[in-house]
Parts: sequence; structure tokens; C-alpha cells
Amino acid sequence: MSKIPSKVCQQIPYGQRRQPEITMNLERVPNEEKLSLCRKYYLGGFAFLPFLWLVNVVWFFREAFVKPAYTEQLQIKTYVKRSALGLLLWVAVLTTWITIFQHFRAQWGEVGDYLSFTIPLGIP
Amino acid sequence: MRPELAKTAIILIFSWLQNGAAGNSVEQKIYVELNHTVPCVRLLNATHQIGCQSSISGDTGVIHVLEAESDVDWVLSSGPNPPYMVLMEANFFNRAIMMRMKGSPRVAGVAVVIPKSGPPQGFSPHNSCPNEGTGVYSDSYGPELAGCNSTVWNPLGNSLSYENFNFPVFSLNDDNETEVIRKCFREHNVVRNGSSPQFPLCAMQLYSHMHAATDTVTCMRRNNIQNSFSVTPEVVCDAINDYNVWGSVHPLNNSAKGHKEGESVVIAAARIDGRSFFWDVAPSAEGAVAGFVTLLAAAHALRRVTVEAPPTRNILFTFFQGETFDYIGSSRMVYDMENGKFVINLDNIHSLLEIGQVGLRSGSRLWLHSDPVSRRRNSSVDAEVEKLVSNLQSVAKNLSLSLAEPNVSQPLPPSSFQRFLRARPIPGVVLADHQSAFNNRYYESVYDTAEHLQVTYPPGLSPEEQLEYVTDVAKDLAEVATLVARSLYLQANGSEANLPSITADPMTVTQMLYGFLVQSNNSWFQALTSPDGFTLEPHPLQYYVGVSGPPRPIKVTTRLVQYVLANLTGTATNLTQSQCQNPENLEGENKELWSYLWVRGSVSSNSSQGEAYCVRASVRLSKAVSPAFELQDYGSRDYSTWTESRWKLIRARIFLVASRELEMLTLGVGVAVLLVSLLVTYFISSKADLLFTSSREPTSTTY
Repeated sequence: MSKIPSKVCQQIPYGQRRQPEITMNLERVPNEEKLSLCRKYYLGGFAFLPFLWLVNVVWFFREAFVKPAYTEQLQIKTYVKRSALGLLLWVAVLTTWITIFQHFRAQWGEVGDYLSFTIPLGIP
Repeated sequence: MRPELAKTAIILIFSWLQNGAAGNSVEQKIYVELNHTVPCVRLLNATHQIGCQSSISGDTGVIHVLEAESDVDWVLSSGPNPPYMVLMEANFFNRAIMMRMKGSPRVAGVAVVIPKSGPPQGFSPHNSCPNEGTGVYSDSYGPELAGCNSTVWNPLGNSLSYENFNFPVFSLNDDNETEVIRKCFREHNVVRNGSSPQFPLCAMQLYSHMHAATDTVTCMRRNNIQNSFSVTPEVVCDAINDYNVWGSVHPLNNSAKGHKEGESVVIAAARIDGRSFFWDVAPSAEGAVAGFVTLLAAAHALRRVTVEAPPTRNILFTFFQGETFDYIGSSRMVYDMENGKFVINLDNIHSLLEIGQVGLRSGSRLWLHSDPVSRRRNSSVDAEVEKLVSNLQSVAKNLSLSLAEPNVSQPLPPSSFQRFLRARPIPGVVLADHQSAFNNRYYESVYDTAEHLQVTYPPGLSPEEQLEYVTDVAKDLAEVATLVARSLYLQANGSEANLPSITADPMTVTQMLYGFLVQSNNSWFQALTSPDGFTLEPHPLQYYVGVSGPPRPIKVTTRLVQYVLANLTGTATNLTQSQCQNPENLEGENKELWSYLWVRGSVSSNSSQGEAYCVRASVRLSKAVSPAFELQDYGSRDYSTWTESRWKLIRARIFLVASRELEMLTLGVGVAVLLVSLLVTYFISSKADLLFTSSREPTSTTY
């Protein structure tokens, strides 16, 4: 009885268990495809989707700045940089707006209520 | 083998979860719930919010009982364990102390122990000048009388009910539950030999988080936004509203609204609501019940004579709801009359007699209040008022009552009549037991109870005997009712010869007082009301108007007044229950003229069930929703804009708290254990090959 668990372990060796594929592993994608992916994400971000830029920056950071040089790296680098810039811009704008809104919502009264998606209960 | 193992695991997990669900018992071990508490809630008008609220997760504080003045300093400055939850006797519940509490961050909340009877010097949490903003007197109408400049009606009023508190305030009855709290306080929190008390300390947590904020304009706007944009609309406040009750001596066609040609009507009015500092606690014995019971008795006294010798004018009995909150009921009826939405309009009104507070007269004296401004400005109104006063006085001569008029320059007391005067000068008088300031020392407070009105019974009487026992106050009010009934008959052009036959019945008055003040669950009310839709209860009724309208039913006190008035003025018919519901095509019956109410009937000695029958009466309900909500003018200065906030949870409980240091230590240890376990897991998993492979080799060989 007590041996059953160890048999389970035996069937799926530990080393193999760590291996299962991460579906979009950049390691296994050819460089041209990396570039096209990075470009798609960069362009997609212009559709008011800053999260695409965030993903782009995080995902391709190693490819752009850490990996040894390869042909497409220069372009990837530009896309990543621009994505990062756009992302920063978004963060700045959103932070400013959220701060202003949270600070002045109660003071704005009617306008504040109409701008709110959920109105907090029990406070002005 | 393996499925069996899984099964055991599932059973294990399941039983563990069940233990978790039964964690309620742990909760019961920690907390003592307080069930007999009443909160103070948030109300809003066009410009303000009043009342109390806790934070969304409840406010907690160490209990401190106020027993002496020095305890206030302990709470506000010297006590070492703020914030404090203050448990106070009612004698500390005054403006000075509450305002000091309000200004202090060291107060988490207040619980007030309400005794059975009020302080002898009087107590009124209401304004000293009730409804001053929506009465008739203003800068353009008797400016020298506006804002109680000449007469302060409620000098004891300390306006606590109109303050806004940012902490919860609850009331407790002086009973076992309060004793539990006191015991907990004595055992854990009392200062001994000057040293501060040791943890664990006894604490209380109060929940009364309110959804609405700022004012009615804001909360109604949020209601609208939620309704139009939100997927799950959440209403934050409701207009305070209910229904007026009205009945007439000659039936009025209810389907034809607006002016009634040739109809001249004498209005007899009373109010049927009150309030106090706490939500839905408003015994209003002198404030409302004495007046409307008198009017009901007068209506009853007029029943026979108006059939046998009908007066040429009609008499309209009106019972206004929500008058405490800036005259909701009367302002709505006047508004409806002005806009042709009521059975009569203002042109049909001949004169008005209002019954104010009449239960606490000193000696035999009652006062006739009239409006000096309309009398001064308009000689015909003055003449009519003179006539009404002389009618009343001539009737009083034959009774043991003496009537007097206060000083000519004194304004009207707070009364529904003021709303009629705002529309146009109508001759009228307010009958009351006070010359200037109210005799009522407990105006709009929790102490305005049956005992305050001296509705008390000799000891040892059963409820049924109490119901039939004619108290002195019932005799007094019956006399006032006789005065009112005869004066109304004269005012309606009835013949003077018939006056002696009009007498109010003290027995009916005492039964009404018992039902409306002591307990509504009595055989008399049971007989008068319909078998369904009434919850009669063995404790006093409360007259706070509240919020009605779907899905909430009409207030029970309104319906009781309606049914009592219908029974006292209507006639019993021999219609069946289905005919009673729809008497459309029956000979002599008319739904437009009368309303038909199915009532239980009184229980005779030989059967447990009464003989139910159908009452036909000219008694109806009319909406008492402030016109401000009809006009959607939530910032209105002319009409009542009071709303009541909604809330999710009202709850009070006590428990023992550990010191902050111990709490932090526990939390710290917990976090440390978590971190250590994470580290251990990480190391084990990183060295897994080493730890597990070696032990695997030999076992695999045995297979």
C-alpha cells in the first residue's frame, strides 16, 4: 500500500515534469517570427491598448537587450523601447487622472457622480 | 486501491470543511449578539444629512459606562485605550455631552440605555421651532412671526435629532441584555486603584452603515444614475412617505376630481405621525395619538346625527401622515387640491378645525389658536374665524371646558393648517392644550408614551379588562371630542337643537387609546380590521412614518386609522365577501361614493371566530408623498424633501479584545510561520532529486 505513491513518482520522473511546454516559448521561435510578433504587439498597442505594450516590453526585454546580437535584434530593440515609452506615457496620464478624479470626485458633485462607474456608498 | 484512497481523502476534506462551516459555534463563543437594540439612522433633506452611521465594517471600541461627569473626561482625554464605545444612561444623553462626543476621534460609538419613563425636567431631541422652514410664516408672510421669533413652541427642544453624527448611536432597553454589558464592563474594564484596566477588555461593535450621503439631491441623483446605467441598480435612499386617511360625512364622488359644484366643506384635521432620535421609535402619545383619537371619537359622535339631521355643509375628516417631516401629508393634499387631483379643491373649503395636542390640558382650559396675519389682512376671514371661535365657545359652555384665545399677535403653532394658509387665506382654528409653549415635555421623544399621557390602569387587570376600563384621560378626551363634534356640526350649518344628542363615547375613546398606545393586538381592533394584511402586535405602536410603497406595505398605523374611521362612521352591510370586493353592479352600492372594507367582526361568547361582514364607509387613503418628489425638485424650499437612507446591516455585539501588542504579535508569528513554510517548501523542492530519488531506488527494486 505505502509503495503506491512512489510508483506514481516512478512513472513520471521528476525531471520530466518540469519540462512541459510553455506554449509561446520564445526560445523555440525563429528570429523572423520574433520580430513579426514584437511588431504586431507594438502596433496593436496604438489601439488604446497599453497592456499590449506592457506585454511586449516584458516579453521581449531579454531578446532585445540581453541576448547576443542577431540580425533582427536592432528592430526588436526599437519596438521594445517605443512600447516602453508609450507605456510610460499611459501610466503617467492614467495616474494623473486617477489622482485628480479620486481627489476631487466628491467636490465635483453631480459631474463626479456622472463620471463614476460605481458610486461608493455612504460617502459624499 | 487508488479510488478508495481518493474517497477517503474526499471524506476527510469534506468533514474538515463541515467543521469550518460549523465555525459559527466559534463565532458564538467569541461574540454576544445584542438583539434588542434600535439604531439611529441617516435621514436627508434638500441641504443636509442628519442621523448616524458607522463605517462599512462596523465601529468597535472598548466599552466605557458613563456614570459620572469624570467618566466623560476618561473617554475624551485620559483613558488609555481609545477609541471608546460609550454606554450611557439616558440622563447623560443631552446636547452638551453628545456634541463633545461628536467632536472627538476617541469615540467609536454611543449606546444609550432608555429607561421606562422620562426625566422629570423633560427631554425633547426635536427642534425648538418645529417645521419652521415649511410653515406659513416667512419673510413675506408675517416676518415678525417667522422662525418662532415671538413664541418658542418647544423650548425643551435640543435639536439632537437634527445633528449629524459620524459614529453609530444605538438605544438599548433597560433589561437583561444591558445587564450583560454592564457585567462585562465591571469584570474587565473598571479602573481599580487608579491603575488602568488590564487586557483583555470588553468591547462593543456597532454596525449601521448608511448608503446615502450628503443630501436628498445627491442621493436621488445616485438612485437615477444607478437605475439608468447600472446592471445591478442599488437604490441608496427612499422618499419618506405613506398615506393620508380621509373620510367625509356625505360621500364624495372619488372618480370626479377637482372642484365640486355646490359643495362646501368644513375640514377637521389631525396628524398621525411623530418621531424620536432613534429609527422607528415614536410612541407620540401626546404628539399625535391624543389628537387623532379625539378626532376619531368626534367623527363617531357625528355618525347618527348626520344621518338623521344632515347639516347642509359637508365635514371632511383628514388624518395627515408625515407632518413631522415638514408637513408631507398636508402639503400633498393641498397640492392635489390646487391641481385638481383631490375630490375637492380649495374653493370648496369653508373653514378648518385642527386638533393639535390636546391630551395634557391643565384644568378645563383649552386654547384656540388662529392666524393673526390672515385675520389682519382679510376682514372676511377674520369674521369667519370669529364665528368659528364663537361656535366653539358656545358649545363649550354646556361642557365642563373653558376655551380661550391666546394673545392676538401670537402665530399658529406648528400645524397642518399652516400649509392650507400658504395656499390661500382660509378661516380656521387649531385646538390645543397649550397657550404658547407645548405642555408636552417629551415632544417627539421616546418618552411620549402611554404613561406620559396617563393612560394607566389599576394593577391586576387582564388585557381584556384594561381594554374596557375607562381611564380619566379617556373621559377628558371624550369631552374634547364632544366639543369638536358639536362645533363641527354647528360649523356645517347643523341645527342647534340637535347638539345635545351629539356626545362622544368615553368607552370608544378608552378602547382606541388602549389599541393605539398600549397594544394593537386586542379584541376590539381584531374585530374592526380585515382578516389579512394586518399584523397586530402585543406592544405599543410606533408612529414614525417611514418608507412605504412597493414592495413595502402601507404603514400599519395608517391602515388602523382607516379601518377604525370606517367602522366608526360607516355602516355594516350584508354583502358577501366577493360582493364586498366588487360591489359594482349591485343596487344602491357605488364604488365611487364609498369604499368597501371586509372586517372580521367581533367574537361572540359561543364561537371562536367572529361574524365577518362588509363595512361601507366614505373613507379613503390618499398619497402622502411630498410634491417635491412628484415635481422631481429635490432641492425644494417649499415642500418636504426628507428621504431615509438605505442600509444592509444593523447589528450590535460585544466581545473581549486583546491588546494591540498581542494582536500584532499573533499576526507577526502567523506571517513568520508562513514565510518559514514557504522557504522550507522551496528548499525541499529544489533538493527534491536528492531527497526522493535515493529512497526510490530500493523500493523500485522490490517491485
